[in-house]
Amino acid sequence: MGALGELLHGFSVALTPENLLWALIGVVLGTAVGVLPGIGPALTVALLLPVTYRLEPISAFIMFAGIYYGGMYGGSTTSILLNTPGESASIVTAIEGNLMAKRGRGSAALATAAVGSFVAGTIGTIGLTFIAPVMVQIGLKFGPAEYFALVVLAFTTVTALLGRSMARGLLSLLLGLAIGLIGIDTLSGQSRFTFGIPELQNGVDVVTVAVGLFAVGETFWVASRMRHDAGEIIPIQGSVGMTREEWSRSWRPWLRGTALGFPIGSLPAGGAEIPTFLSYALEKRLTKHPEEFGHGAIEGVAGPEAANNAAAAGVLAPLLTLGLPTSATAAILLAAFQRYGLDPGPTLFRQNPDLVWGLIASLYIGNVMLLVLNLPLAGVWVRLLAIPRPLLYAGILVLAGLGTYGLSGSMVDLVILYLLGALGFVMRRFDIPVAPAVVGMVLGPIAEDHFRRALQIAQGNYATFVTRPLSAAILLVALVALVAPPAIRMVQRQREKNQPAPALPSDT
Amino acid sequence: MEPEATPDFPESRRADVGEVLLSLATILFGAAVVWQTTQIRLTPAYSKVGPRVIPYIIGAGLILVGAWLLVEALRGHEAIPASTDSEDADPALPTDWRTVGPLALALLAYLILLEPAGFVIASALLFVGAAFAMGSRKLVRDSAAGVIMAVILYVGFTRGLDLNLPAGILAGIL
Repeated sequence: MGALGELLHGFSVALTPENLLWALIGVVLGTAVGVLPGIGPALTVALLLPVTYRLEPISAFIMFAGIYYGGMYGGSTTSILLNTPGESASIVTAIEGNLMAKRGRGSAALATAAVGSFVAGTIGTIGLTFIAPVMVQIGLKFGPAEYFALVVLAFTTVTALLGRSMARGLLSLLLGLAIGLIGIDTLSGQSRFTFGIPELQNGVDVVTVAVGLFAVGETFWVASRMRHDAGEIIPIQGSVGMTREEWSRSWRPWLRGTALGFPIGSLPAGGAEIPTFLSYALEKRLTKHPEEFGHGAIEGVAGPEAANNAAAAGVLAPLLTLGLPTSATAAILLAAFQRYGLDPGPTLFRQNPDLVWGLIASLYIGNVMLLVLNLPLAGVWVRLLAIPRPLLYAGILVLAGLGTYGLSGSMVDLVILYLLGALGFVMRRFDIPVAPAVVGMVLGPIAEDHFRRALQIAQGNYATFVTRPLSAAILLVALVALVAPPAIRMVQRQREKNQPAPALPSDT
Repeated sequence: MEPEATPDFPESRRADVGEVLLSLATILFGAAVVWQTTQIRLTPAYSKVGPRVIPYIIGAGLILVGAWLLVEALRGHEAIPASTDSEDADPALPTDWRTVGPLALALLAYLILLEPAGFVIASALLFVGAAFAMGSRKLVRDSAAGVIMAVILYVGFTRGLDLNLPAGILAGIL
């Protein structure tokens, strides 16, 4: 059966009334948390993990996928109307989108973001449908050494490409890896870093880590420096829609943004931020209205928003086919699979085609739902922004306590939650990105497992990682990703030093 | 703001105290990881690639990154606090301990009260306390919202989802 046959089968799973309902709940929740400050899709999925254990896995994942996609839609609404991006992938949208809103074209900015998200999300899902079987075939050829190399590649790109400082990205990753070490080592049965506390034998739950770093850490960060100029929501004038000219200026950026976003997102090294920046730069160069950039150019919203959503679809490809998450939300989704005893990767496609293809089919459905939810109902979502901030964050803290305590019924977990919240606060204070820690915490144990299995196969010969051609090639790419950016910077600096300063009128 | 020109660190001559402390804390933490790793028991069968290898690598990595941060700090690099992922925080402001302190106390009260007093009371108090700490002065509205939220969550999760939450002193009433 080809990809199309599998997909049709997936639709038969996703189109049952029950699963349609879960998809709807997912996209509504996702849009809401995307709009709301302080809470995002990663946190929402983490908070919902404890309450979904009684659902069928397929229903839970259809809901999670809806939250994931919905968060992307909702994030653009906030960044356009409030000029404070809720997600790093929406930074670029905030630039031109907010300027458009100030010029009174907020409804057009929302429309081009929603339709662009739909176009890109759908094309990205089509891409996922056809690339996934190919990646599964590749994944089947991988042994533990190759998988370890892939995880290292994901680590380097998550740390080197995100944030402004590689040292800080690495610190975040290593913190996550260190947290991931806590508990009983699966291969030898020895407990590590448990400090004699029995509750730590099973390790720190990813829910506790995500909720601590995101919810509690973010709340303290906001409390420590509340924006006093906040709350200036630009009202939308008229219904959400675009003029004929705005349509014709939007569709090419949508397609170009998709073409940038999906391939980069689907790399085992992708993420959604870089394509949005690339798309913005590209649209700025190609536009016929260069004078509008910096004053609210619609191309600067259409392209990056499309890139963002296409990349979000792309990120699911390495997650589902190789078990490799490249964003915080994807890492939580991987943890959700583990909770159900499922192991994303080539075997998941063989053993659980209903789940995988039902999930992919639900993405098509979710995109249609999101278009309907976001175009006519944009005004409804905006009202969420009127919730007083103290109440919003107080509510987040109550939910954080509930999610963590409800998971295990253990006060130890609650104490760990608040310690991690303090850590999350300190990380924000020092501009240390949080996402690498979450990815590291989830992927660390997997990486160690592959590492030691590979070495057992090679009888303790560490050279196995570089003598196997595939593994060596992947590690080489990882090395380039790690070394290239600072090397380029150094060369540039050297060149600036060597060249005499440009002829400025001298003081003498 | 030009998105393609990611701002580099502003160069200042004096080393920032906070940055130096961060780097030293990282080095100390790395050393603690290495020391704790020596305490992991080894089983003979895994003597080659045992449970200590990866923790050693992570500990060493932390020490190296700490040293890297120390060099950056001494050269006068200073972090621009996270400016991208918070809608409601203004990174240019200094830490307002008069908000953070009471908020931390509210969480501490929650920790102490949750099991003896029960989920509903602890959560409602946390809600009101946190909202007050963050500047809300409408106590009646906040109390009502907190109690309603706590009761709905408690009933929904214990009845609907069979989750175990402490009933505390309200046991038998709810």
